[in-house]
Amino acid sequence: MIISVMSKDRPGIIADVTGAIFELEGDLADLNQSVLCGYLTMILIATFNSSITPEDVIAKLSHTTSEEKFDVLVKKVDTPIEILKARMPEKTYILTAQGKNKSGLVHGISSFCYERGINILDLATTLADDQYTMILQLDLSHIAAIKDVRDDLAGYADKTGLRIVLQHNDIFRVTHEISMK
Amino acid sequence: MLRSDQILATVEMIQKENLDVRTVTMGINLLDCRGGNIKETCARIEKKITHLAGEFVPTCDLVSRRLGIPIVNKRISITPIAFVGAGFERGDFVELAKALDRAAGLVGVDILGGFSAQVEKGMTTTDREYIASIPEALAVTSKVCASINIGSSQKGINMDALDMVGRTVKELAERTKAQNGFGAAKFVVFCNQPGDNPFMAGAIHGLEEADAVLNVGVSGPGVIARALERLISTNGAENLRLDDLAEEIKQTTFRVTRCGELVGRQVSKALGIEFGVVDLSLAPTPTVGDSVGEILHILGVDAIGAPGSTAILAMLNDAVKKGGLFASKTVGGLSGAFIPVMEDALLAEAVGRGELCLEKLEAMTCVCSVGLDMVAIPGSVDAETISAIIADEMAIGMINNKTTAARLIPVPGKEAGDIVSFGGLFGASPIMPIRNVGKSSRFIAWGGRMPAPIHSFKN
Repeated sequence: MIISVMSKDRPGIIADVTGAIFELEGDLADLNQSVLCGYLTMILIATFNSSITPEDVIAKLSHTTSEEKFDVLVKKVDTPIEILKARMPEKTYILTAQGKNKSGLVHGISSFCYERGINILDLATTLADDQYTMILQLDLSHIAAIKDVRDDLAGYADKTGLRIVLQHNDIFRVTHEISMK
Repeated sequence: MLRSDQILATVEMIQKENLDVRTVTMGINLLDCRGGNIKETCARIEKKITHLAGEFVPTCDLVSRRLGIPIVNKRISITPIAFVGAGFERGDFVELAKALDRAAGLVGVDILGGFSAQVEKGMTTTDREYIASIPEALAVTSKVCASINIGSSQKGINMDALDMVGRTVKELAERTKAQNGFGAAKFVVFCNQPGDNPFMAGAIHGLEEADAVLNVGVSGPGVIARALERLISTNGAENLRLDDLAEEIKQTTFRVTRCGELVGRQVSKALGIEFGVVDLSLAPTPTVGDSVGEILHILGVDAIGAPGSTAILAMLNDAVKKGGLFASKTVGGLSGAFIPVMEDALLAEAVGRGELCLEKLEAMTCVCSVGLDMVAIPGSVDAETISAIIADEMAIGMINNKTTAARLIPVPGKEAGDIVSFGGLFGASPIMPIRNVGKSSRFIAWGGRMPAPIHSFKN
């Protein structure tokens, strides 16, 4: 099952959520969580006995004793879930785009990617001093010539006033990690 | 997980701070190219170079585009030509230089090094013919660079060769008078010359090397200068001490070196040619913001050449090595900060203002690589004085077990304070005044050898 939990951040959320899964004799396979401006969201993959339904999981999670209830979504997946993390595609690139904050920036750049069949693997954005920064990790496996994307991006940068840079993920890997493997 | 602060730091490093891979240099062994006569030898050399390096430049361009890191120069280094051309005469060596120039042109590299000889102990007849060919060979070719090793910590200094190279430098400058003596910028004299240095004009493919190998020279004075400025503006100068600055240089060098290593390994893999070394040298360019001199300014001297300059350079050089050594599997070449006067806008300015003199520059070369590099001197300085300046630089290398080199350009018809410009990466500078000209000829006239220093006797 895929379980998604959203809550105001406080100590003990992970303990509560995983405790509920444990009590239902579930096996936690993978978990990813993120905190933004005091709110936590978490996505978990867990397997349960066939007798356990998504409603059971929601009910269990609703019985936590905190003052604020969790917002929970549970989805049952019939096909086996591939838990092993796939290798990063060879053509993984990092796109950084910076510019004056205004509405529609993320929508614009994500639409740019969508129109070209580019999948966004990860995205982080920050706002500082009215400057909005978007960092996207992209899979360019379906792109025949990176140069075409660069040319299109240059045009997009001119149109929007964003400063856009596209560089291979390997550069960031080797400059930020000890291992070169 | 994406760490935006780290990613932005790396993006800044590449986009705004002049991070590039200064050179990818393919070393090629030419010993098997010796034919029965000069024509056959030239043909074999051209064939071998075009065969091995045919795809070199396009492959570098491809990797550069894929990674988004510029590779500024694609170069070739070869087995020192005096070994390849054993038994040939002066005119033959000029033909060899032309063949190398043609081959370099065909494969599209920027420059080719290794028109060289190693004569630190003695000279063969071939070596003498080779030295005699240098002025013409470099004047009639455009991409060929020459170097000669005339000293080592093991063998001492060959003073006969020293006398010849002083005259060679003069003649080279005279022959290329129309370009302000530019020929002399393509000739460098070494003590303890490494066989895997990717930087010009002194790159050779040493006899100890495999058939073909790729060496990478990283760059990055601009990156280090900006990193230091950022650190100082974030923390405030009053809250930082010198060791904090050294640590910042170290960490920045790590990242710079990693980029070089990545590029080198990808080019090497694509070409199926063994990866050699990363040379960690900080190599400035005349571009504003890509200067070693600027780092000295940031680290606290208001004039380059002021007391403290040597100490700062020592710390910089050491921090660069410490950061780079951990970043790369194999480090070699020269690996230190370069202070080529004409190629570093701030050093050139310091010469113009009279803040940096030859004697201080010489002192600074004791603690960094590589030596008196790209120093324009008055055309009137005599050959013996030039030999003697080189002798001092060679002695520093010999006694300190380090590589030192001299690349002096006696600019014909110009005097101290006049400006000379070669354009591009070779840069421009005012001519540096030379004191005590003409007072060393009795020393140079001795000839013979300066014996190997005592610490070479370790067996």
